[in-house]
Amino acid sequence: MTTLTGQPSSEAIGYSFSKATSAPIREHSFYPYTDNGGSTLGITGSDFAILAGDTRSVAGYNINSRYAPKVFKIGGDDETGEGAHILLSVVGFAADGQALKERLDAVVKMYKYQHGKPMSVMACAQRLSTIFYQKRFFPYYVHAILAGLDEDGKGALYSYDPVGSYEREQCRAAGSAASLIMPFLDNQVNFKNQYIPGSGEGHALEPKKPEPLPRNTVEQLVRDAFTSAVERHIEVGDGLQMMVITKGGIEEIYYPLKKD
Amino acid sequence: MDKLVAQYSRPPHQDEFYSEQEQRELTESLPPLSLKFNLPPVDDSRAFLRAMTDDHSNPNCPIKLAHGTTTLAFRFQGGIIVATDSRATAGNWIASQTVKKVIPVSRLSRGEDKPSNEPTPGLLGTMAGGAADCQYWLRYLSQQCTLHEIRHKRRITVAAASKILANLTYSYKGMGLSMGTMLAGMTPQEGPALYYIDSDGTRLPGNLFCVGSGQTFAYGVLDANYKYDLTEEEALELGRRSILAAMHRDAYSGGFINLYHVKEEGWVHHGFNDMNPIFWKTKLEKGEFSNVTSEL
Amino acid sequence: MNHFPEAWGRPRDDVYGPYNPSYLQTTGPKTHTQSPAVTGTSVVAVKFNGGVAIAADNLASYGSLARFTDVKRLRKFGNSAVVGFSGDVSDMQYIDRLLESIDIRENYSTHGNTLNAKNLHTYLSKVLYKRRSEFNPLWNHILVAGFDEDKKPFLSSADLLGTTFSAPHLATGFGAHLAVPILRRLFPDEKPAEAVSRDEAVAALRECLKVLWYRDARSLDKYSIAVISEAGIEIEEDQQIEAQSWAFAEAIKGYGAQVN
Repeated sequence: MTTLTGQPSSEAIGYSFSKATSAPIREHSFYPYTDNGGSTLGITGSDFAILAGDTRSVAGYNINSRYAPKVFKIGGDDETGEGAHILLSVVGFAADGQALKERLDAVVKMYKYQHGKPMSVMACAQRLSTIFYQKRFFPYYVHAILAGLDEDGKGALYSYDPVGSYEREQCRAAGSAASLIMPFLDNQVNFKNQYIPGSGEGHALEPKKPEPLPRNTVEQLVRDAFTSAVERHIEVGDGLQMMVITKGGIEEIYYPLKKD
Repeated sequence: MDKLVAQYSRPPHQDEFYSEQEQRELTESLPPLSLKFNLPPVDDSRAFLRAMTDDHSNPNCPIKLAHGTTTLAFRFQGGIIVATDSRATAGNWIASQTVKKVIPVSRLSRGEDKPSNEPTPGLLGTMAGGAADCQYWLRYLSQQCTLHEIRHKRRITVAAASKILANLTYSYKGMGLSMGTMLAGMTPQEGPALYYIDSDGTRLPGNLFCVGSGQTFAYGVLDANYKYDLTEEEALELGRRSILAAMHRDAYSGGFINLYHVKEEGWVHHGFNDMNPIFWKTKLEKGEFSNVTSEL
Repeated sequence: MNHFPEAWGRPRDDVYGPYNPSYLQTTGPKTHTQSPAVTGTSVVAVKFNGGVAIAADNLASYGSLARFTDVKRLRKFGNSAVVGFSGDVSDMQYIDRLLESIDIRENYSTHGNTLNAKNLHTYLSKVLYKRRSEFNPLWNHILVAGFDEDKKPFLSSADLLGTTFSAPHLATGFGAHLAVPILRRLFPDEKPAEAVSRDEAVAALRECLKVLWYRDARSLDKYSIAVISEAGIEIEEDQQIEAQSWAFAEAIKGYGAQVN
């Protein structure tokens, strides 16, 4: 805030590196969040999108459950999610994630009843962003990824921050092991820092161009990403839940991970 | 006192479920037009939000929001150049290297870049600070601009659009929003117009602005070489070079250089290009950045 | 908003006051309305072939004082669901009243459905999540045992933040540390709930409560145990922990003045 009148406070001019010494008013209140750990990951291809998450739920160093899904079908006809055409993964505070998922599910269903057609992934992505932003001042502690197929039948993936900034991407990892998985995906999906051998010397080397990967390669990448994350992160493990969305529908694959 | 009495004089149990009104709001497939936000029910909601999200005061804060970083825009004889980097950081983590920090604010083109080189009519907004704040409020602004267009049968002026945004941010002053945005556009009434608006409610017209943590580095290059009479080529190159300097020196800036030119007929996109080859080209071909060795 | 490059876009102390970390604190001096006073300790539950068994001791502590020794923390709901409460006893009684009114309303309704354990769990987790979002939590961690709509055994948990998870065996409070490992050893993943007999499940719970009685200073040797099966609910209150062996106590050395 630009101070135009009055005495600038000690911190106002910001050149001093000393921290304010006056003790803040201490309010002992209830802490409304917890981190349930785990990680999620999404990758798209030319005609499919994969969303995956591990199935461990933790509270501190305790493992609450070894099968707690993080990937959900959105806008299905019944409780099982039959007939859904959008996937959502949530990681962070599980209760917020659950609330968010149920809210988006209700919205997508209402859209179908009111407009007589399923909601497009693009519209759903924008709506999810406003749902997040309505809680701008008391955020959902959730990193969400939304996946589906766009109007051209191409895989579409949208990733969110906890207050609703979003972006369409080729791939995204979220959650506690995001910092382990994301660099791997940058290299293997977007071919970052990969060059065409023999295309030049030194700075003249040509970077390898990213192109959509086939489905079995992507599935293998997802498995590799998670088996590696399990080795190096305590909050990831137990099981890998993978949902693949194609024009034929949604397929769910479960793959066991190490349980230590 | 009433609060206290209310707290201790409630019925044996309240109806714990959501009211009909709340249930309807939860399932609304369109977002409400009125601006309604949930506030945490604590005495000082701003301090609560800050405790959860201020990654500068507390690097271990639980919720790290995506923040944007170097953006610049300047007026010259041929219109307005708008250039940004593309990095978003959440604490020390680079959340994304591909953020589109120039957001078209007009109903004719919402976000999706057109492949053609035809100028697209409308305004451009830039994004620095909280990524979600900028995205949400520029989206809100496009809605207001479209409504203005329908009501008045002509396009909104940049002055009016920037005032809508500034009034809005001023009304939320002190709540914890974080955005530093520039609005650039060309209208018959104003010619090329450039405004800076931030979350304090500041609104300034001007010729040249740099916004974000890399602003000082960009100003350094931009101020040294800026003239109103630049040719289009020169102006684009200056925008690119200023962002490059900021990306090189500011850890919170990087990724791709996003370049736009606002002309009378509308804006034109001049690419979203990886900084790395541009950096080496600038160094090896022009001999700049002599602080960096080119040895491998 | 701070305009200096090193903290660009962040809140300024002279506008927002100094950073107040007390909101992040999870412990602190007790305030009357926002932290529990009279509390119950662990609840333990396990699924078996054709039902669920759940147990909790009969103590309500006031801090470290064993204040009330005949508090029943298992509550029947209808003919096929039991809720086990740990945490604040007054909030437990509040939820009890809430469930009572729902039970009455359901029994007077004409649709003829009865709420099963799964419905009950969904309802309670929403109540808990709503109250945490109001910063006025119901300070309980509950387990819901019974059957789902397919008449399959159902066991799930919900805590004061609204976090929910389910597993074949669950325990709250100290039990999450002491009882869950015992249950996981007795009924590993290779031995699914269908392979566990009713007697095995009940014996395991009694064993868990015995270990908790040995080591949880807020527990009691009087307990209640409920078995929910096809036949209905059999609830036994005022059970006594039997066959105790305190021989291990002899071997404990190294606390306080006694060093060897």
